Amino acid sequence: MIEALLKGTSAWKYWVILSTRTQEDMAYRANYMVGALFRFLPLLTTIYLWYAVFNSPGYAWSGRMGKMTLPDIVSYYAIMFVARGFSSMPGMTRDISLDIKDGLLNRYLIRPISYFWYQTMYRLAHKLIFWLAALITFPPVFYLIREYLKHSPTVLEWVGFFISLIIAFWTGVLFSFLIGCLAFWFLEISTFLFVIMTMEFFLSGHLIPLNLMPSAIVHYVQWLPFAYEGYWPCMILIGKVQPDQMGTVLGIGFLWVGIFFVLVKLCWKWGTQRYSAVGG
Amino acid sequence: MKDFLRYCRMTLLMMKNCLIREMQFRSNFIIRLFTEVIWLGMQFIYVEVLYSLTQSIGGWNVWEMVILLGTNHIINQLFEAFFFDNCTKLVDQIRLGDLDFVLVKPINSQFMVSLRYTDYASITNSMAGFAMIGFALHKLGTAITPVEVLLFLLLVLNGIFILYSMMFCLSILTFWIGRASNLFELYYQLTQFTRYPGEIYRFGLRMVLLTAIPMLVVSNFPAKVLVGGLLSGRLFYACAIGVSFLLITTWLWSMGLKRYRSASS
Repeated sequence: MIEALLKGTSAWKYWVILSTRTQEDMAYRANYMVGALFRFLPLLTTIYLWYAVFNSPGYAWSGRMGKMTLPDIVSYYAIMFVARGFSSMPGMTRDISLDIKDGLLNRYLIRPISYFWYQTMYRLAHKLIFWLAALITFPPVFYLIREYLKHSPTVLEWVGFFISLIIAFWTGVLFSFLIGCLAFWFLEISTFLFVIMTMEFFLSGHLIPLNLMPSAIVHYVQWLPFAYEGYWPCMILIGKVQPDQMGTVLGIGFLWVGIFFVLVKLCWKWGTQRYSAVGG
Repeated sequence: MKDFLRYCRMTLLMMKNCLIREMQFRSNFIIRLFTEVIWLGMQFIYVEVLYSLTQSIGGWNVWEMVILLGTNHIINQLFEAFFFDNCTKLVDQIRLGDLDFVLVKPINSQFMVSLRYTDYASITNSMAGFAMIGFALHKLGTAITPVEVLLFLLLVLNGIFILYSMMFCLSILTFWIGRASNLFELYYQLTQFTRYPGEIYRFGLRMVLLTAIPMLVVSNFPAKVLVGGLLSGRLFYACAIGVSFLLITTWLWSMGLKRYRSASS
């Protein structure tokens, strides 16, 4: 049905990319499902670790901002899987930088498609497969930890959460694309990518909920774009964002997406001017 | 004995080759060090956050936890230095038929594929682990005897071999099931269990982590030597696990080679 609708329009070609990539991934579905399940193992260690903290003899909440209970923490880390399922773009930066470095970009430049939208569709296809698999893998995991999922979100929180996931996806795509474009200026960036990925992992709140960090740090890191890749969606759904803050939180998120869009356009323009098609 | 020396010489030769290669990408090396420092810094913040809420987790106080972190860091880095790249490369070698080049050489093939590439940045990075342990021991005011140092190093080596065995076995499953990149995901996720005290896990899971997937033997045991409390029975147990895992790899490797089809070469 979608095919009939899109045929003849300029969106058609991106639809083809999307469906081809999806089919490619489906060819390795067993491999995929296995990976999807393994990814929950860290949740297990995290639950045990925090359980041990909350049940240790000398436990006392330190009085840092944002009191969290054990259910809050477990829910946070569980929802983090959902949020990162939207925002993480494994391999995207590397692929783009290699296309640039090895001159493979030529293939796309001579075609009447936008490389940015090509990459976006490519990643969207991955995400669709991810969510298809998640429909099978997520429910049992969430069922197992149901006693920790105490907070029942309000309608506003659900809406805010879904909007924040859209922000998460775009932040992920745009930032990865932007970093990949650095290859126009620096030939060898693969190691630099490690640094970036590590920072992203930390600043998105994937390792520790950002509000638990020393308050001098929290005030800054929670407003960085990375916080929208994990921290904010989680905080919204566990009920830690008050209704009157919701607008600010989401507004700043959209602001970042806008800034990134402009930066991507500029980087692409300047980058392709510099591009020398080495080895192409 | 002659063979042993020959293999030692081979190892040094392969390491030398990699060093020459590495020296061509010096900036790469420095960035790698930088990344590890950031990573360790993040772990420290994590520990700081956890211990801002309590004095002890699973019976380990903050400096004992730092010792565990340091031990884990040393083991993981040294494993990465010698084996990690080789194991990941092995998958493609088997799939694409490049293993031919190894098999025709007059040398033990498992030895060759396992030690071919050395990652020097990881060796340097492991030093940070020793520094962490030293600092934590100083803070605890514990005096360490030479025997304990030796036992610690022995168990560290043992841990590296266990990690190697698990990763190597996962890699050579390629002989049977084709593309299995997600099995590395399993490896990554399993190493999570080496980071924290074994005491935090429930009994059943702890048993699994001590036997079938001996992640607690990898880093908890050596760390225990330094914080006190490793019984000699456990020492023998750890080494038995290490040796049997290594034996399994050689057996699985020979089984796998029988299935090798040298595809697409």
